[in-house]
Amino acid sequence: MNRPTGTDEGGTGDGRRLPRRGQGQLESQVLTVLRSAGGPATAGWVQEHLDGDLAYTTVITILSRLYAKKAVTRSRQGRSYTWTPASDEAGLAALRMRRVLDGERDREAVLARFVSALSPGDEARLRALLSRAADDPGDPTAPEGR
Amino acid sequence: MGVFVYLPLVLPLTALPMARLAEQHLHPRSATRLLAAVGSTLALCSTLCLALLMVVGTAQLPGNPLPDGWSDPEVRAAVPYEEKAGLVAIGVLGAVLVACGGTLLRHARTRIRAARALPGTTGPGATGDLALVPSPDPYAYALPAGRGRGGRIVVSTAMMDCLDARERDALVAHERAHLTGRHHRYLLVTQLAARANPFLLPLRTAVAYSTERWADEEAADAVGSRRAVATAVGKAALFSHRPPGPAVLPALAAEGPVPRRVAALLDPEPSAGLWPPASAHLALAAVTATAGTAASALSSLNATVTLVGILHAATPL
Repeated sequence: MNRPTGTDEGGTGDGRRLPRRGQGQLESQVLTVLRSAGGPATAGWVQEHLDGDLAYTTVITILSRLYAKKAVTRSRQGRSYTWTPASDEAGLAALRMRRVLDGERDREAVLARFVSALSPGDEARLRALLSRAADDPGDPTAPEGR
Repeated sequence: MGVFVYLPLVLPLTALPMARLAEQHLHPRSATRLLAAVGSTLALCSTLCLALLMVVGTAQLPGNPLPDGWSDPEVRAAVPYEEKAGLVAIGVLGAVLVACGGTLLRHARTRIRAARALPGTTGPGATGDLALVPSPDPYAYALPAGRGRGGRIVVSTAMMDCLDARERDALVAHERAHLTGRHHRYLLVTQLAARANPFLLPLRTAVAYSTERWADEEAADAVGSRRAVATAVGKAALFSHRPPGPAVLPALAAEGPVPRRVAALLDPEPSAGLWPPASAHLALAAVTATAGTAASALSSLNATVTLVGILHAATPL
C-alpha cells in the first residue's frame, strides 16, 4: 500500500529558489520549524532555523497567514509577537484540502473521487446489494471475519 | 456546402444510444476509449462547422478578413451564404471558446490547488504516492501527475476508518488505476467536447461512469477479489452519504452510479472483447454512432474543402 516512488517534492533544503516553492509548502516548513521550537518562538528564531534564505518579512507574512487560518496562535511579547503552533502540519493539509474540495465546481472532472453522491433510493439499493454480497459464499478469496 | 454544413452540429445525437448501451455491454476500458474518441471527433467537426458558418455568413460585413474577390457576384452565387447564421455562429463560437477555456482553467487550478494542499511526499502523513489526510470528512481521490511531481492518491482518515484492510487495498488500487490509466485525460476530453456541443453531455456522463468502472475492474484484478472492491465502494458511499432531505420512494428515483458499480462488481467479470456485439441493440447503436461520426467528419471535410477551393479561386494570387 505504501509504495515508495521516485518522485519527491522536496520538502526542505533541496536548493530550489523561493518562487519555485508553493505557498502551502512554505507554510508547512514554517510550521515544522515552529513545532520544533517546543514552545512560543519569535519570527526571528523561525527565520534562523529555516533552511533557505527567506526574508524576515516573508516569515512574518507566512506566520500571519497561518494565524489567519488559525494554524498558529500568537501573544505579544514586548514589541513583537511570539508564535505557537495550534495544529500540526497534517491538520493544516486537511484544512487546505477541505477548502479545495468545497471550492471547486468542476472538481469531479479533475479529481475522480472514489464514490459519488447517492441519489434518493440508492441507499436502500446499496444495502440490499451489500447484504447480498455478505450472504453469497461464492467468492473464495473473500477475507474471513469481515 | 449547403445544408450539410449544419449536419455536424446535430450529428452528435447519433452517439447517444451508444453512450447509453456501452456502459452495460462493453468492457469499461473499451467503452471509455470508444466514447472519448467518438465524442472528441464529433465535437471537433461541430466546432469546425461553426467556424465555417461564421466565415461564410459574415463575408459581406465590413472589416471581415476575407479577400476582396469574395464579394464578386459570381462567388456569392456559388456559396449559399446566410448572414444571420453567420452572426449567430460568431456568438456560439465565442461561447464555445469561452466555455472550453474556462474548463481548462478550472482544471489546471483545481490540480494546482489540490497539489499545494498536500503535505510533501516525505512529510508526515504521507508515504510514497499515498497521502493520508487526517480529516473527519470521508473522501478519496486520485490527483494526476503534474509538472515535476508524480500522481498522488489522497485518502482521508475517516474514509480509511470505515473500511477493513482488504477494502483499503481495493480503494488504493482503484485510485492507482486512475493514475496509471490516465483517466483524467478521458474525462477532460469529454468535458471539453460537451462544452463544444451540449448534445455530447450524456457522453461525458457515460465516460465518467466508465472510468470508475474501469478502475473498479483494475482494482478487482489487483486485490484478487471483486467482492472486496464491491463492499469497499458500497461502504464508502454509505459512509459518505449525508441523510437526504425529502424522502423519495426508492422505486421512483433514478438509480445512481454507485449501486450500478457495486452490482456490476458482484456480477462476473465483463469480457474484454469488442466483437461480436453483445446484443442486437448494441450493434445497432454502434452502427448509428459510427455512421453519425463518419457523416459528421465527411460533411465538415466537404465544407472545408469547398470553402478552401472557393477562397483559392476568389483570391487573385
